[in-house]
Amino acid sequence: MNLVQKAVAQGGKLAPLAIPGTFGGMNPSVFIDPDGDILVNVRVVNYILFHSENVQIFPSRWGPLAYLHPEKDQRLVTENYVVRLNNDLNITDCTKVEMLNLHEPIWEFVGLEDARLVYWDGYYLIGVRRDTTTNGVGRMELSKVEINKNNWSVKEVSRTRIKAPQPDNSYCEKNWVPVIDRPFNFIKWHSPVEVVSVVGDQAMQDTLHFGGLKPEKDQRGSSQVIRWGDHYISITHEVDLFKNYLGQKDGIYNHRLCVYDDELHLIGISPEPFKFLDGRIEFCVGAAEHNGDLLISWGFQDNAAFILQVPGELVNEMVAKCL
Amino acid sequence: MLIETIIADLSKDPFNPELNFQAAVKYDSQNQIASAVSFYLRTAEYGKDTHPSLVYASLLRLAKCFEQQNDRLHTVSNCILQALAYLPYRSEAYFWMSRFFERQREYQESYTWAELGLHNGQKSDPTIDLEFTDYCLLFEKGVAAWWIGRKDEAVKIFNDLLAYDLTLEYRESVVRNLASI
Repeated sequence: MNLVQKAVAQGGKLAPLAIPGTFGGMNPSVFIDPDGDILVNVRVVNYILFHSENVQIFPSRWGPLAYLHPEKDQRLVTENYVVRLNNDLNITDCTKVEMLNLHEPIWEFVGLEDARLVYWDGYYLIGVRRDTTTNGVGRMELSKVEINKNNWSVKEVSRTRIKAPQPDNSYCEKNWVPVIDRPFNFIKWHSPVEVVSVVGDQAMQDTLHFGGLKPEKDQRGSSQVIRWGDHYISITHEVDLFKNYLGQKDGIYNHRLCVYDDELHLIGISPEPFKFLDGRIEFCVGAAEHNGDLLISWGFQDNAAFILQVPGELVNEMVAKCL
Repeated sequence: MLIETIIADLSKDPFNPELNFQAAVKYDSQNQIASAVSFYLRTAEYGKDTHPSLVYASLLRLAKCFEQQNDRLHTVSNCILQALAYLPYRSEAYFWMSRFFERQREYQESYTWAELGLHNGQKSDPTIDLEFTDYCLLFEKGVAAWWIGRKDEAVKIFNDLLAYDLTLEYRESVVRNLASI
């Protein structure tokens, strides 16, 4: 299923999120803040993903899937921009997030990646950072930010690198998705659902729902976990991996809607995966309820950012199909 | 047409080369070149058997997107070479290759590609802007000729070029080159 087609056909709206003064944005995370403003964090990178689709007849010099960074600078650098949208989903305000300068990056992946925006005891950007060790160990980080709506500026005021549940020896933790109305709670994993809470800089496993619904395919975190009617919902992604003609890892991303009860047991999942624009690499990072509709934000091929207004009725249909 | 309209149309027919090309051109015009790259690539991959002119144009415009990003020279030349290999009878990619080497100050390569283009390029497609007109290869050959010690040849080429209906930019360059040789 192509969700954009279906949503627009039923009265929804699609909007691109182009960050002025940059070459593009990716993996946007939408959030409705306590003032009712539609905010989106958009990731902006210094590379272009070169991804040949179809039969991959026009690959890059380094193969069909390559991160094309400057040839004399191998770093893959991420910066974050926070934008405010009006009700027509047009950008009215835009600013780069001013991050604290806490350390010299010592790995090729630089910056806070795929950050989700939430408001708990303040605004947080929550993503993965891999530039603090020489081998790229990834840990989720909570970057507390202040948003000044008078002069539209956003700056990081504190940062916490979260230790994974003990023994904290994994290589890369990412895509823990925040539960919007449960401060410092995340769904860390979906097969089975694993809920963790963070106290200080330590994540603790709260619940592991072995008995809950187990998806046929491994589901990974995408959007935040939000309230929808009597349930929690989130959008997850799954990847069909394959090897291209060079033996390199390549993938096709699909998404599903997940439905949870109040204890965050997974009680339903879309029977069929969906795509947004039928790109092989699409990645949803945000979802928010707005005036009875669902806003979903996603990145296309790591090179473009979009937001989609999905009519509430269609979301209800999708939820019903999950259950 | 607004980009949101193009993308909404694309959602109904996501592998349509024409719609992908329209999206790419729109992003390109807004200098959102990372986004443009994805849609040019899709135009090329999904149009290779049905839309040769759009595929060819996409490959060259990909080269330009990467050139604008700076420090991606291997990718720039790779895209132009792919266009050349795809439609070797078209003139534009020879010109792009010659101009690429001229910008790198590799003048023998520039001269050679211009000469190859003059011999092998049989046609171009003026309906898609690829920064090419029929005298472009000759101009590149003239510039490169001077740099590789073929002064007389360069002078003759620039004098010949004055007979063409040149754009103002090209005419000024030709006159300036003749004055400084």
